[in-house]
Amino acid sequence: MLAPLLAVLAVAVGFPLVYAIYLSVTDYRLTDQGAPNFVGAQNFIDAFANGAFWNSFLTTGTYVVVSVGLELLIGLAIALSLQKQKWFRDATRAFLLAPMFITPIAVGLTFRFLLNDQIGAIPAILDTFGISYNFFGPGKALFTLALIDVWQWTPFMVLLLLAGLESIPKPPLEAAKVDGASAWYRFRRIVLPMLSPILVVAILLRALDALRVFEYVFATTRGGPGTETQTLQYFMYQTGIQFFRLASASAMAFIVLLVVLGLVVLTFRRIERSKA
Amino acid sequence: MSLARSRPRRLVAAAAVVSATTLLTACAGSGGTTAAEDTSDASGEVSSDTEGTVRILMEEVPDTDIVQDLLPQFNEAYPDITIDIESLTFDQMRDKLVASFQSSEPAYDLIVVDNPWMVDFANAGFLAPLDSRIESTPDYEPDDFFDPLVDITTVDDTRYGVPFYNYALGYIYREDLYEEAGLGEPTTLDELVSNVQALKDGDRAGIAMQPQRGYKIFEEWANWLFAAGGSIYDQDGNVTLDTPEAARALEAYIEAYETAAPPNSLNWAFDEAQRSVASDGAASMVGYNWNLPTLNDPTGPAGDLAGSFKLAPMPGGKQVLGSWSWAIPANSDSPDAAWAFVSWITSKDVEVERVKAGGASIRESALEDESVLAEGFGEDYYAAVEQILSDAAPLTNGASGEEMIQAVGTELNEAVAGSKSVADALAAAQEAAERIQE
Repeated sequence: MLAPLLAVLAVAVGFPLVYAIYLSVTDYRLTDQGAPNFVGAQNFIDAFANGAFWNSFLTTGTYVVVSVGLELLIGLAIALSLQKQKWFRDATRAFLLAPMFITPIAVGLTFRFLLNDQIGAIPAILDTFGISYNFFGPGKALFTLALIDVWQWTPFMVLLLLAGLESIPKPPLEAAKVDGASAWYRFRRIVLPMLSPILVVAILLRALDALRVFEYVFATTRGGPGTETQTLQYFMYQTGIQFFRLASASAMAFIVLLVVLGLVVLTFRRIERSKA
Repeated sequence: MSLARSRPRRLVAAAAVVSATTLLTACAGSGGTTAAEDTSDASGEVSSDTEGTVRILMEEVPDTDIVQDLLPQFNEAYPDITIDIESLTFDQMRDKLVASFQSSEPAYDLIVVDNPWMVDFANAGFLAPLDSRIESTPDYEPDDFFDPLVDITTVDDTRYGVPFYNYALGYIYREDLYEEAGLGEPTTLDELVSNVQALKDGDRAGIAMQPQRGYKIFEEWANWLFAAGGSIYDQDGNVTLDTPEAARALEAYIEAYETAAPPNSLNWAFDEAQRSVASDGAASMVGYNWNLPTLNDPTGPAGDLAGSFKLAPMPGGKQVLGSWSWAIPANSDSPDAAWAFVSWITSKDVEVERVKAGGASIRESALEDESVLAEGFGEDYYAAVEQILSDAAPLTNGASGEEMIQAVGTELNEAVAGSKSVADALAAAQEAAERIQE
């Protein structure tokens, strides 16, 4: 039974990966014709020595931590509220999930103009309070992009956490309540521990997705100011597609892949240990 | 989008693989092309009974629509040639174009090439040389093309393209506001800065700028560089971005941004700038010459302001030139039919029709044609366009043009953002451009 699945995986995932490994050890450019030259580990050495690449790593890491951290906090608060909701539950949940169903490039373009100082609604509202804020200015643009991510993907966090909350068995909570435990105590000592497997999966899924941020950058800042919002995907897109240096981009993508896989393996090990 | 970001997936492992291999998957091209037929001495005279299908890859822009509208006329001249145009957005088109070069089977018989790609594509052997066709086409008059546009199509003294349309820049301003302020068209960089500062009035900015990182800021700032007497390359082709003229241009650019541009517009590109001038948010902008008819169109984005906009060459007379060119891929299946179409659509007579329909001009004669002047968008406009196209230069002349433009545009944006000094930004821009185009 396993053989057909492995065969599909080999073709769908294995072939592109193997071909990309091959490209990453060549000097291949999209504008080259014929067979590229073998350059060994040179592209990997260049990537490790490339400050802009590591800078984009740091930028992406900051983006992931800020966006997923906020999504977790806000998502958990909303999920706890929704759990207690009595009326219009389905309608509220459907409405809350709406941002998830918009394509990210459309979200990016919408916020580009929503935050425009001359025609945007948000600067206009701030202006009535005498506040002028440069959403895409130095030191602020990356956090603006993270907030766009929060707007679009907090509903996903809510969805997962709500499912987790509703699957928690009631007896321990009721027993604690009878024993006089406060709401905060019940949340901290019963709800959170029982929710932790779901929390880990939710954070992991969101972090992996946020790691691939591209559309918001493309639609709003193109990596600026300077290189402040130059994320990994945008950097590799420019290197491989815009500048035609596919071999370099392949090597960078492999380094990212290894780092991500390492983090995923560590996370799963942690989950397994906590179960034991 | 070439790198679409998909929604979260259930399988963590799959998500991990997909996250880092979106690009890798795109890397898996087939590679290799068949040996191209030698067309270096091909004739430009194509018989009207030539048969074939010409598959063309183009960008989704108004100039492509104008070409589409002219196809019935082409088929009156060449009834047995079928023109099959596929138009895509810029990024999709570029990705598909490069992939088609790698294909063992020819995918397109005619393409349009943006000027930063010309050297790379020609050096890679993707494009067929066109000198013999251009010289042997009856009544073609190639000397009528604006020289700066022809220069873009020429790599190592060989022409690999024919101009399709220009996107040269110019200074677009509100004539009524200039008159109210008692100002004349700026003729120097200092006048440009002082004018836009004088035009700032309450919420209306003096100039809507486009300092977005990368292409946009370099495209805009280079006009200021030319106005300051500087250049991107010297006569020997060496990069000249770290010069006193460049420093003066960047200081003037930053001064205008800080004192006369809309607040918080550091990420603005063309769309925002045009919306700003069209909605009375700014008195002027540096824009493409063919934006003027759009702004002056009563049914266009400017509404009641239509008719109050005017186009002028940049102070000092020289401006940045962008250009799309027709080119025949070396692996084209129908090079003769493709040339029949190119030579027809760029001929003097058809050029007049194209320009009257709103197409961006490539020939001097079209801008002096009586029917264009009478039926088009006004004599003043065409006179300004002729001046603009007569003295214009592209952002890049060498290989890896896109990369060089992005690198320089990043440094300029750093300077405007205040995270680098003018001197440091220009030194870094010079170093990056030299390294990329060495």
